[in-house]
Amino acid sequence: MLAGADPSVVRDLSLLGKVEVHGDLDLIELEPGEELVRLAPRRGLVLREGSTASLRERLGAAGFRVFDRTAAYAAVELRGEALLRRLTDLDLDALPAVGGLARGVQAIVLRSRGRGDNADTFRVLVPQELGHYVCEVVLDLSEGLSL
Amino acid sequence: MRLAQREGEAIDRGRELGFTFAGSRITGFAGDTIGSALYASGRRVFSRSFKYHRPRGLLCCSGHCANCMLTVDGVPNVRVCVEPLREGTVVEAQNVVGSLERDLLAVTDRVGGPFTPVGFYYRTMIRPRRLWPVYEKVLRSIAGLGRVGGASRRYDTEHRRAEVLVIGGGRSGREAASAAAREGRQVVLVDEGAQEPLPGVEVLAPAQALGLYEGGLVPVDAGGVMYRFRAERIVVATGAVEQPLVFPGNDLAGVVLPNAVRRLVGEWSIKPGERAVVLAADDRGLETADLLAEAGVDVALALRVTPNNPLRIEATGRRGRVRKVTVDGKSIDCDLLVMSGGRQPAYSLLAQAGARVEYDATKGIFVPTALPAGVDAVGAVTGEVGGSSIPRPLYAGDGKCFVCVCEDVTVKDMKRALAEGFDSLELCKRYTTVTMGPCQGRLCQLASVRVYAHEQQTGEAAIGTTTARPPWAPVTLGLLAGRHHEPARRTALHHRHEEAGATMMWTGEWRRPHSYGDPEAEAREVHEGLGLIDVSTLGKLLVEGPDAGVFLDRLYPNRFSDLKPGRIRYGVLNGDGGRIMDDGTIARLGDELYYVTTTSTGAEGIFAWFQWWNAVWGYDVEIVNVTGALAAVNLAGPRAREALAALTDADVSGEAIGYLDCREVVVAGVPCLVLRIGFVGELGYELHCSSPAAEHLWDRLVSGGARPFGLEPQRILRLEKQHVIIGQDTDSESNVLSAGMGWIAKLDKDDFVGKWALEHAAERGVRERLVGFEMRDSALPAEGGQVVAGGRSIGRVTSARRSPVLGKNIGLAWVPPELAEDGAELEILVDGRPEPAVVRLEPFFDPEGARLRS
Repeated sequence: MLAGADPSVVRDLSLLGKVEVHGDLDLIELEPGEELVRLAPRRGLVLREGSTASLRERLGAAGFRVFDRTAAYAAVELRGEALLRRLTDLDLDALPAVGGLARGVQAIVLRSRGRGDNADTFRVLVPQELGHYVCEVVLDLSEGLSL
Repeated sequence: MRLAQREGEAIDRGRELGFTFAGSRITGFAGDTIGSALYASGRRVFSRSFKYHRPRGLLCCSGHCANCMLTVDGVPNVRVCVEPLREGTVVEAQNVVGSLERDLLAVTDRVGGPFTPVGFYYRTMIRPRRLWPVYEKVLRSIAGLGRVGGASRRYDTEHRRAEVLVIGGGRSGREAASAAAREGRQVVLVDEGAQEPLPGVEVLAPAQALGLYEGGLVPVDAGGVMYRFRAERIVVATGAVEQPLVFPGNDLAGVVLPNAVRRLVGEWSIKPGERAVVLAADDRGLETADLLAEAGVDVALALRVTPNNPLRIEATGRRGRVRKVTVDGKSIDCDLLVMSGGRQPAYSLLAQAGARVEYDATKGIFVPTALPAGVDAVGAVTGEVGGSSIPRPLYAGDGKCFVCVCEDVTVKDMKRALAEGFDSLELCKRYTTVTMGPCQGRLCQLASVRVYAHEQQTGEAAIGTTTARPPWAPVTLGLLAGRHHEPARRTALHHRHEEAGATMMWTGEWRRPHSYGDPEAEAREVHEGLGLIDVSTLGKLLVEGPDAGVFLDRLYPNRFSDLKPGRIRYGVLNGDGGRIMDDGTIARLGDELYYVTTTSTGAEGIFAWFQWWNAVWGYDVEIVNVTGALAAVNLAGPRAREALAALTDADVSGEAIGYLDCREVVVAGVPCLVLRIGFVGELGYELHCSSPAAEHLWDRLVSGGARPFGLEPQRILRLEKQHVIIGQDTDSESNVLSAGMGWIAKLDKDDFVGKWALEHAAERGVRERLVGFEMRDSALPAEGGQVVAGGRSIGRVTSARRSPVLGKNIGLAWVPPELAEDGAELEILVDGRPEPAVVRLEPFFDPEGARLRS
C-alpha cells in the first residue's frame, strides 16, 4: 500500500509493539523507550519498539491484566499538521487523544517522541482492518495538499 | 473604455491576460475580475434571469447577486464580478438557448406572463394529467441555473481552530483582528475579497464564511478547500449591503448599485457609462455622482430619495439595457442609473448564531440585537450605516417591478401571494421564493418586508424578517461533500481474495468475497470435498476475569458459567426489550477466560454493549476487542479433518476435538485457536490466528486442497441448515421466540438482559414466526417477497436461494403462527404470481446434524 509513498509524509509503524494494560495506571513502572497512552481511567496502551514479551511479563507480574495488541492496530507516522487537520477534527494541541478520523475511524493520535525534527510529526493508530483504508485516505489527502 | 491611469487602481496595466468569452478572445489586466474585464470590453448583458430570461448586467458588483453568473472553465454559476481573471480562462453564458443577446427562452418574459404566474407549477401545466410527462421534460430542461458536469474539481476539507475568528475584512474587521492579535490571541480573518496582509493575523481571502453553527463552528469556503473552523470567539464584521430601489425597470442592465460604480471606476479604472442618473437615499450613494463626474461621465441628475420625493421612478430601455429614466414625470436619457435604498446590515450570520433582529424605524433597517456569548459584531453590521433617508417601499408604474432579481419575483407576484392568503412573510417566501435565490436575501429581504408592510398597511416591525439559515453564500455541492472516502474494513486475507479473482462486496463496512466465480460449485465443494472461507470479519471479544461466567450469564438468555473449559456454546444477545441484537459462539478457554464471537457488523456495538453492562454491574471482568488482531478461517467439508491433520502434529481426531470443542493447536507452524463448529452443515473447524500469520495459514490450507468459497455459497449452505442470519432474517422486532429459537432462553435463570420482556412475549404469544420453506416448483422468490393468502399479504421472505445439492429452491419467511407447522401450505408471490411452497421446520439438509458431528 505504502510502497510508492513519500516516507517523509507517511511511514508504516505497524510493527511498533503495543500492549494493552488494565489496572491502576498510576502504578505502572516504565522502562526507557516505553510510553504509556491512557485510553480510559483504568485502561492504557504501552508502546515500545520491538518485542513486547518482556514488557507483558513484567506488567503481568506486577498484577496488571495485559493483552498484546501489536497486531490489533495498524500504525502510521505522518508529517504535517495540515495533513492531520484534513484527516481529523481532533485538537492537535491536546494530544494524545482518541477520536474519529477519515470519516469515523476510531483512532489514537499522538505526537511523535522527541523534539526538533519531530515537532510536526504524528503517530496514528487505527484498527488493523482499517489500516489499508486510512493509508488510502492519507495518500489522497497528501496529494491534495501538494497541489 | 479604460480611463487614464488612476492612483490606487487595482489593475497592473503591464500584465495583460487573455481569456475567451463565448468563443471570442478578450484581454484584461492582472487585477481585473472576469466581470471587470468583460465590462471594460463593452459587455453590458452578463446573464439571463432565472424565470423570465430577461437580460441582466452587473448590479452589485460585490458577489451578492446572480446577475453576473457565468460558467467558468466548466464550473457553473460563478459570480464573475468577484472572480479573479486568469490567463486562458474559458467563460461561457448559461441559462440561455441561443446567446445572451438572443435567448429564445425570453419568450417567457414577453408572452408567458399569463401562463407563468407565481407558483405556476402548482396551477398551469398540471392538466391534462397524461400530458405531464411532456411538460416535465420541457420544464426540467429549462429549470435550474447552469449545468453540472462540465468540470471535475478536487475539494478538500480541513479542520481548523481559532481563538478569534473575524468574518469580514473591512475597516472594522481589520481593526478588531489587529486588536485581538495585539492581545496575543491567535486570530484568523476571513474575507470574500482581496486583502492586504495584517501583522499577527492569519488572513484567509478570498474566502467566504457560509454559516455560524452552535459550538462556534464556522464553515469557510476557500475555493478548493472547506475550512471547518471551531472558534472560541467570533467577530462578525460583515458590513452592510446596499439596497436596490423597487421601481419598474429596476432590473435593466445599466441599473446598478453604488458599489458597482466605486469598483468599476476606483479599482479597475473603467468609465462605466456616458450619461448617468443617481437616485440614492444615503450619503454614500450620492457621493458616487462625484466619482462619476471625475471619470468623465455626464451626471444628468443626482437626487436624494426621501419618502416623499420622488413619488414615481420608472426606467425603460432597449434590448434589456437602460435608455431612459422618468422621475416624477421628467424623462432623462441615460445609460447608467445608480440607485441606492440605503444600506442594510448583513446580520445573517449573527441571526444564525442566535441574535435577535429588530426593526429600527428611524433608520429604516433591521439591526441585530442580543448577541449570544462568544459572538461579537463590529462596524456597519451593528446598524452604524451612516446618514440615510428611507425610500418609498415601491414606485408604481408600468412594466415589471422586481423585488428579488435572483428569483425573478415582482411586486405583482407578492401582491398575488398576499391576495391568496399568504399573509406571513415566511409563507410568502415559500410560495414566491422571494429571498431564496443565490443572494439569500441580501438584496431583497428588506425590500420584500417593505412591500409587504406597505400592502398590508402595517409597519415593517410587524412583518418581521424570515429565518436566517446557512448557507449564507452559494456553495458548490462538491465542497460540501468533500473527498469521497468510505471506510472499508479489509481482512488480513484481502489480497489473497483479490489474487484469487474474488468478486468483492460490502457487508457493512467490511469488504468480503461474494464468490470466486462459481457460487454453486463452491457450495457443492463444501459438501463433497473441502472448502475454506475467510471469517475474519467475525467480531471477537476476550472476556476475562473471575466474574466472566456470571457476566455472560446476565448478558445472554442462556448459561455460560456452567460451560466447561474447552467447550463452545451458541448464544443470542437480546436488548432490554427482548429483541434479538446479535448472535455468535462463546468458547470457554479457561476458568476465567471466554472467547466471544459476534456477527461481522456487530463487533463495535457489542463491544460497547459489553463495556456498558460491565460498568453498570461492576463485575471484575476485562473485555478486549480482538476483532482485527485475529484472523479466522473456516475449513469445512468431509475432508476437513484429514486436511487439518496433515498440517499439525496434534491429535485432531473426533475424540480429541469433538463437536463444539475448542483447542489450541499449532497448524502449519501457526498457533491457532481451533473451534469445531459447523454453520455450513459439514464437518468444520474455525481456525483463529494472529492476523499477520493469516496469509501463511491460508496458503497452506489452499495448497492442501481446500477450495476458497465466498459469502454467496455460504448463504446457500447456511440456508440449507436453516441457520438464521441476524439482521437478514430478523429485524428490530424479532425475538428468540418468534425466530424459532425459544429453546435458548433459560427463563428459570435469575436474570438476564431482556428476560422480563421475553416473559411477557411468552405470555402474549407471538404474532408471526420465522419458518423454513421450500418451493414446490422452480420459482425462486425474491428476498422481501410477499407470502400471500387470498390475495392479501400475510408474511415475507427474508432469504431464498437455490440449493444445488438439494436441487430445490429454499428459504426462510415470516408467517402467521398458525402456518408455522411442518408441511403447511404457503403461497409466495414470484413475479406477481402466487407460487406454491411448503413449510419446513427442520433443516433442509442433514436434519440430524450427523455430518457436522462426524
